[in-house]
Amino acid sequence: MTADLIRLERRLATPRWLMLAVPAAAGVVALLLAAIFLAATGRDPISTYRQMAQASITRDGALSATMITATPLLLTGLAAAIAFRMRAWNIGGEGQLYIGAIAAAGAGLVVGGQGLAVALPAMCLAGMAGGALWAAIPGLLRAHLNTNEILTSLMLNYVAALLGYYLIFGSGSYWRDLTSPGAQVFPQGKEIAATSWWPGFLAPGVVLPLGFLVGIACAVGLFVTIRSTRFGFRLRVVSDSPRAALYAGIRTKRAFVLVMVLSGALAGLAGVSQVGDFAHQLDPKGLQGAAYGYTGIVVAALARYNPIGVILAALFMGALANAGLSLAGSDFPQGLVGMIEGIILFCALGGEVLSRYRIRVGRGSRALASVVASDSTAPAPRVDGIAGEGAGQGGAEVDMGTGRIL
Amino acid sequence: MNDGLVVQLLASAVLFGTPLLIAALGELLAERSGILNLGVEGMMLVGAVSGFLVSQRIGGAGWTALLVAVVAAGVVGGGMGLIHAFLTVTLRANQIVSGLALTIFGGAIGLSSYIGDSQHLTGQAARHQFEAINLFGLSDLPILGPVLFHHTLFVYGSWVLVAAVAYYLYRTRAGLHLRAVGEDPAAADAMGISVTGYRYVHTVAGGVFAGVAGAFYTLALSGNWSNGITAGAGWIALAMVVLAFWRPELVVVGAYLFGGIAALGPNLQARNVSLPPELFSALPYLMTIVVLVLVSSAWARGRLNAPAALGTAYMRGE
Amino acid sequence: MRGEHESADSGVVLGASGVTKRFPGVIANDQVDFALRRGEVHALLGENGSGKTTLCKILTGLYRPDEGSVILDGAEARLHSPADAHASGVFMVHQHFSLVDNMTVAENVVLGWKAGRRMRLSRAQIEDEVAAAAERFDMFVHPRAQIWQLSVGERQRVEILKTLYRGAHTLILDEPTTVLTPQEAERLFESLRRMVEHGGSVVFISHKLPEVLAVCDRVTVLRQGRNIGTVDVGDGVTDAKGLARMMVGREIELGRRPERRGRVGDEPLLRLIDVSADGDHGAPAVKEVSLAVLPGEVLGIAGVAGNGQRELAEVVTGVRPRSAGTVALDGRELASGSPLNAAKRGVAYVPEDRMGVGLAPGMELWENLLLRAGKGACWRGPFIRRSNGIAHAEALVESFDIRGQPRTLVRQLSGGNAQKVLLARELSSDPRVLVIAAPTRGLDVAAMAAVRAFLIEAAEHGVAVMLISEDLEELMDLCDRIAVMCAGRVTGVVSVGSTDVEEIGLLMGGVTA
Repeated sequence: MTADLIRLERRLATPRWLMLAVPAAAGVVALLLAAIFLAATGRDPISTYRQMAQASITRDGALSATMITATPLLLTGLAAAIAFRMRAWNIGGEGQLYIGAIAAAGAGLVVGGQGLAVALPAMCLAGMAGGALWAAIPGLLRAHLNTNEILTSLMLNYVAALLGYYLIFGSGSYWRDLTSPGAQVFPQGKEIAATSWWPGFLAPGVVLPLGFLVGIACAVGLFVTIRSTRFGFRLRVVSDSPRAALYAGIRTKRAFVLVMVLSGALAGLAGVSQVGDFAHQLDPKGLQGAAYGYTGIVVAALARYNPIGVILAALFMGALANAGLSLAGSDFPQGLVGMIEGIILFCALGGEVLSRYRIRVGRGSRALASVVASDSTAPAPRVDGIAGEGAGQGGAEVDMGTGRIL
Repeated sequence: MNDGLVVQLLASAVLFGTPLLIAALGELLAERSGILNLGVEGMMLVGAVSGFLVSQRIGGAGWTALLVAVVAAGVVGGGMGLIHAFLTVTLRANQIVSGLALTIFGGAIGLSSYIGDSQHLTGQAARHQFEAINLFGLSDLPILGPVLFHHTLFVYGSWVLVAAVAYYLYRTRAGLHLRAVGEDPAAADAMGISVTGYRYVHTVAGGVFAGVAGAFYTLALSGNWSNGITAGAGWIALAMVVLAFWRPELVVVGAYLFGGIAALGPNLQARNVSLPPELFSALPYLMTIVVLVLVSSAWARGRLNAPAALGTAYMRGE
Repeated sequence: MRGEHESADSGVVLGASGVTKRFPGVIANDQVDFALRRGEVHALLGENGSGKTTLCKILTGLYRPDEGSVILDGAEARLHSPADAHASGVFMVHQHFSLVDNMTVAENVVLGWKAGRRMRLSRAQIEDEVAAAAERFDMFVHPRAQIWQLSVGERQRVEILKTLYRGAHTLILDEPTTVLTPQEAERLFESLRRMVEHGGSVVFISHKLPEVLAVCDRVTVLRQGRNIGTVDVGDGVTDAKGLARMMVGREIELGRRPERRGRVGDEPLLRLIDVSADGDHGAPAVKEVSLAVLPGEVLGIAGVAGNGQRELAEVVTGVRPRSAGTVALDGRELASGSPLNAAKRGVAYVPEDRMGVGLAPGMELWENLLLRAGKGACWRGPFIRRSNGIAHAEALVESFDIRGQPRTLVRQLSGGNAQKVLLARELSSDPRVLVIAAPTRGLDVAAMAAVRAFLIEAAEHGVAVMLISEDLEELMDLCDRIAVMCAGRVTGVVSVGSTDVEEIGLLMGGVTA
């Protein structure tokens, strides 16, 4: 039983300021670490970061480009946030986004000529249904056959990507443009009618894509649902303690499938917005290169799975990802953005510890830290009532029965 | 189908199965200690690119260059395993998210791509490759010869690795302690076994295995580097551990089965069978889902033999 | 035991001198002196929370004393960790076993034992050694059996074997009999006597007077962290009453059966007929159980842990579907496998695992109180009315004397307060039937009294109470009748007034009259 050099003590309550400070610090630290890495591999971090800032913030139209990237990230971020918060490990957002895009492109091609009033709801419904169905597969398999949803949802990402490739590159499908001259040489998707392209809204200095506004509405709706509805209440019980939920008469399997479906629908919606706001056709290669589904997980973790936080995190990650996308091919280092995203996630995870535990470094007194688990008669300092902040009202009595006898 | 196709398929099954086998063995060690590492894909990609980079840049005889390259791939993979160990063991971060972070960090949009791009490795022809060795002259045997005994050192090494991991797990004291840490860390801790130590060592070992498995792609299989070369093999290796019920001897079966499925597409295409290539590419992933479902539903009432503490952080007194 | 100790046989092998240990807000040990002589079984007697376990954790190096010192083999010793105590042959067997379920007995015995430095494990050799040690102390368990296959009593034997294998000559057993049938306990005492004959010494922590008198040579009584005195059991002066007085500080009735008005109706409220159900692993866990509980009656369910009691409770509360038989409330059948239906019909449940099963520990107190209520003032359509929910919680916090605020996370509550939250939730729903398991386990004396009072009060109001407990004393104190379970069957139902512990013990072991 050696004393570890770094020891953690569980906090009973998380200070409010840490909830904001931790993600912010994670972003800053990650950029610093990446800068060190850049310098170490012979690149100038300052000019690289300046390039990125120009591409995503300062250059003309850069902010609008950032918004275009932030839109799918907002939606996949919400998808990951709701799933992970409810402990449904849906890492299939990527595939659900592809299916959403395929369905939305299909719907757009069918009804696009009838104008936005028809096309918008049709595309949204089709895409959300597609994503939801795709997510329902791992959800149902998990709920009823006990199959690990992490692996199945992930495998389906590859399948969905290949399906997209098949539709555009491997077959003469409805989605593929077979008529225009360029498309004879380079296979590409059929474009939906321009009247059904999604409008952007002009805000000072930036064009807000319709999808982003949809995303904000989703975030707010999700926040309210989780916090103050019966459905959200039940989901929270299931995620906190599945067995307690069972006793409370909540159908936990159904709740799990619902969360997966909801998450899939949101990821599908991200695919819809990619078609409606941006590509106006099915572009499997572009979708795969952007990896919005995976990045959504980073967004969600950075936001600590809070739907409102996801909005901010999506903007930040959107700027980062946009820099990566728009600078690709130039002398900008390929892969840098993914690395930074990974490091942000590491830092966010590390920071999470700060908010859950107090950290003690060194080999100090280990008397309290070494309370061994084999412990039933409660010698540990378990404080009655509220510990920490509220110790005054709760009374500092300890659950050791020092006083009265029957 | 004729004999030639079957033999070639079986031989390629072994070939394509080898990286799955090595990576899955490593993940098995980590998971036996209770640490789930979803970063296998990322660690493999970084191993693949670092191995290739070293073999391209280092001087000296071919076999030393290859040896150094494999060691380098292992070291880099181990380093990534160390990051995961620090986050999940010391900081008790969520193992799922941390593993994903590792894959994003190292994967096709991260570090491996950075290295490949900045060192201009894409499209370079390999200077050194592992050559097939006629093991004990056995490769002239009918059928068995080409299937089992006409392979690179890498393949033979993976067999030794299986035996070593199985022996370690079931027949040594450290293996016993490892299993205890994964099953019941509190009990292991109470018996004076260092839960932290075992988890660190085996998570790093898992990274080393994954790095080496990645190097197989660039040094023995394809002879070049391209971005995302492992194409999801790391994820299939993860599934393999589940399918093998966390037992090294069964990992061999699963790895070669999936190696065969992965080899099916190229082999059939070479014989002008015309089916959409996307279908063949999707086959390993679809099969993984099917087999996972079969295995988990058949065993749904049991526990699949998963280490009981898999995925959970351990903190004394909690 | 391994080491041969020929030296002065009345020497102190393990002791404490002026040991004081403080935890925030309480003194767990206050200037405690204690001496264990070689070759004796020495009881540490005291109520829950009197500091027995803390003292023993200090004696084995798990805690460090704030003041005073530990004595090993007559000399002051500094223990930094349990490993130091183990090196001197002092071992503690905790109530919570440190066994790995999916490993064999032999593997568990050698786990972590570093003196055998060999890398390779020879299974055959280890199994032989374990079997030999078991033979010597009459504690046979099959070395190749997996732990999960063993009964609790056998697991305890493995724990003890583990210490003997490591060369223990001094054993501290923390309430070892709570998990045993009386017959199994007798067998344990036999083994302890053998150990003492072989030169070992035993500290026996207990709060049960009869067994202390039966097995121990001397008794040290702790009360509120202080040593009240050490007495010889064989001196003719010490009897149960005297020890009880020392333990609680005043004269008490040995049977502490609370006063009951005994308002018991005639028509059964809850009736089980030939109920069977499968356990978690698919094997039958409850077999053809027929029981009836009258309104206002407390029916105890006794048995060694793992004999189907938990599954039976889950069947009644609808969490576990039954495979055969009927459960009827007021003559109308309850739906199988529907906790919702059971709750609607007025079945309340206070499970054994309060934090993981009864409550959602990461949610706030007021939310936990709403867990079973789907209607009422706290809901409006699909929305929660937070302010009403919090007001509702405030009222219950007040009336159930819960130390906590409505916005407190349940995880932060002590065991006693968590139990009160559960009781508040279940009893405030005006239940007809209350199923309650291990209601006072791990609680301090005050909380225990409060919980018992709530339980009795519910019965007085005509609730049919099904009380599942492994604590025979508690069952005898609270119940009108006791049904005993063994291997999923009810082996007998006895009236508390006309039975004794021996009869129940035999039924627990499956011996039907």
